[in-house]
Amino acid sequence: MKLEIMEHKLNTTNVVITLNGVVNIHTATQLRQRLKPFLDDQHKEVRVDLGGVNFIDSAGIATLVEGLQWSRNDGRRFVLSGLSENVRDIFELAKLDTVFEIDNGDS
Amino acid sequence: MPDPLASDSNSSQLSCTLNSARDCVHVLSSMVEVMSQRAGLNDKETNRVVLAVDELFANIGQHGYHGKEGPVEMKAKYDGDSLWFEFRDYALPLMDTDTLRGQAVDTSQIRPGGLGLHLIYAIMDEVRHQALDDGNRWSLTKHLKG
Repeated sequence: MKLEIMEHKLNTTNVVITLNGVVNIHTATQLRQRLKPFLDDQHKEVRVDLGGVNFIDSAGIATLVEGLQWSRNDGRRFVLSGLSENVRDIFELAKLDTVFEIDNGDS
Repeated sequence: MPDPLASDSNSSQLSCTLNSARDCVHVLSSMVEVMSQRAGLNDKETNRVVLAVDELFANIGQHGYHGKEGPVEMKAKYDGDSLWFEFRDYALPLMDTDTLRGQAVDTSQIRPGGLGLHLIYAIMDEVRHQALDDGNRWSLTKHLKG
């Protein structure tokens, strides 16, 4: 069970990071290393597509919280999308489903 | 406390000894998934139980063994009433879990250990910790619905 991470830069300020696999205590470090370069002053929107993630644990969520904290500066957005039913359930258990900006894809 | 492994009629059980290294969590997840499905849990419930057990294993590695490798013995059993997991480690006793129980989730203070324990208590019906002379014993129980 690995984690595949793909980056798609939409322009100089916006990026989409697509994840496939498991985000857990074993793979969260890998995610943190790939995510961190985008959490700077140059970027304005970081979108993480979790559509290919079938499992996430607290270490994975804590890594995403770093993006959430980065987005608290004006003009920045950190958006999660593609949450499976099980991944959404874990966010709800953690009481973080209303804290993150989650794109439900209904627009 | 009676040993849940003492009776094996109409039940299923697994046991193994793991290393607390992070990559062993995948082995543990597979075993927990098998036991949960044998016990009749649906996909969502199975995902939750796998998460709770993984979180406990991660806490033992991080807070018990402080990231170093150490042995973790795991037993799992289900019967008609419950799905039960026991962990035994040989690390120093862990933190006082009562102080973390029910702790509000503060996104500025999230740490894997704190959020992990919150999830364990949210998912499992019983969580027990026993500090031993040479380590810790944990048990997690999920009651099965009739």
